[in-house]
Amino acid sequence: MLTGLAVIGVARFLEQRQDFEDATARSYQLEIEARNRLTSGDDPAEARAEIVSQQRRRQVLRDEISGETRDTALLVGAGLIAGLTGAALLFSGLISSMRRPLEDLVEASGRLAGGDLETRVEVGGLQETATLGAAFNEMAAELQRRAGERDQLDRMKDEFVLTASHELRSPLTSVQGYAELLLLEREKLTPKQAETAEVILDSSRHLVRLLNDLLDLARSDAGRLTIRPETTDPTSLIEEAVRTMRAQFEARRQQLDLEIEPGLPTIEADRDRIRQVLVNLLTNANEYCPAGASIGVEARRAGADVEIDVSDNGPGIPPQQLEHIFERFTRGDAGETQRVGGTGLGLAISKSLIELHGGTIEVFSTPGRGSAFRLRLPAARERVEVA
Amino acid sequence: MARILLADDSETILLLVRTRLEMEGHEVQTAADGQEVVDAVREAATPPDILLLDAMMPRKSGIEALRELRAAGLDCPVLIVSAHTGAGDANGDHAGLAIDAYVTKPIDFDALFAKIAELTAG
Repeated sequence: MLTGLAVIGVARFLEQRQDFEDATARSYQLEIEARNRLTSGDDPAEARAEIVSQQRRRQVLRDEISGETRDTALLVGAGLIAGLTGAALLFSGLISSMRRPLEDLVEASGRLAGGDLETRVEVGGLQETATLGAAFNEMAAELQRRAGERDQLDRMKDEFVLTASHELRSPLTSVQGYAELLLLEREKLTPKQAETAEVILDSSRHLVRLLNDLLDLARSDAGRLTIRPETTDPTSLIEEAVRTMRAQFEARRQQLDLEIEPGLPTIEADRDRIRQVLVNLLTNANEYCPAGASIGVEARRAGADVEIDVSDNGPGIPPQQLEHIFERFTRGDAGETQRVGGTGLGLAISKSLIELHGGTIEVFSTPGRGSAFRLRLPAARERVEVA
Repeated sequence: MARILLADDSETILLLVRTRLEMEGHEVQTAADGQEVVDAVREAATPPDILLLDAMMPRKSGIEALRELRAAGLDCPVLIVSAHTGAGDANGDHAGLAIDAYVTKPIDFDALFAKIAELTAG
């Protein structure tokens, strides 16, 4: 409304300015005519008086217009200030009516990014924020739909692996079982037959390992890889794992040194699973290191953790492989893997298992010098006996 | 040695396990599904020393057969053979069936023989 006043003021000013200019022009005209009469007319006194009169007239007009201009400027100024104030008031109203929905949107985006795909905002307020809110909701719905599809695909994949693993197990039971049966009567076989049966047995054992690893990974992906931790003594656990592997190290004339700090604290661990991880690390060292290599297992207390190192002086791991070593199907170079019987899944599973225990697994390696894997498992909390 | 009732729907596996058990000196009777297990136990003059049942079989599973037999008062030790690793914790509905151990396929025969010896020692 006040802005309207400013507009009226400006219009009036322009109108007055036009009147002033018309009047001034008329006055000049009259003066020029009087000057003509001054030289050629018969009443010079009248002409002189007219000239002076017109000059005064223009002075009066100038005074008038400057007064009018000032008033109009004041009016326009006041109008403008009032208008701006009004605009500011209006704008602050606009801001506050936009702020709430925008804050809601920011919060909702945070929740959405945090994984709450059911997040929606209330659509309302100004048209702009309402449009924004509706767009946000549409995006969230789309994300939720896609996540649903992805979850379903993941479930189908996990289900497939579980079923395939189950279905493959029966024929493998026969292959492995009959090869074992043949070898039970090795003395009745020719050396060639015995060797053939050994190959069948080794291959079927490898397939079973692969199947078990795939199953573990599928369970891990589905969040169904579970551990059953109990308070356990790490020393006997490490000794057990080492004992299982002794024969393999001897077969390759590799030295296996065990050094366990006395009095290690107990850990909360699923013995079978930690043994599985240790055996996996030892198997890798056994298979990737050349005959005659040295492998060391050391365990010590490290702060609130028990630290177990499995190290070797083997060929080491090139840096580009080291980065991906805990990813599935990452294996040593092709030449080696022809000979090595691993599945390429062991370290990925080991990492999942150690993390389920609240621990960490790290690798250090210098090509040509050797590799070391370090496990850290949290020590069990001291039980406080309450009287 | 023990009198064992063995059930599996796969003939090759049945033959394999039977052969291995007999080589260990056990006396083995076989069944191809749960119903045959139930019938065999009912018709026998004395119940077997131990049951070795495949968990999943057509017609009637090892678990269903065991449920029927336990309800009828059979109290011999039972081993369940399963293709599922971790079958014990995956199936909470096995509670009350008094399953002594789960055997995972492929079968580790040395471990199986040790378990049978332990369960029939008493």
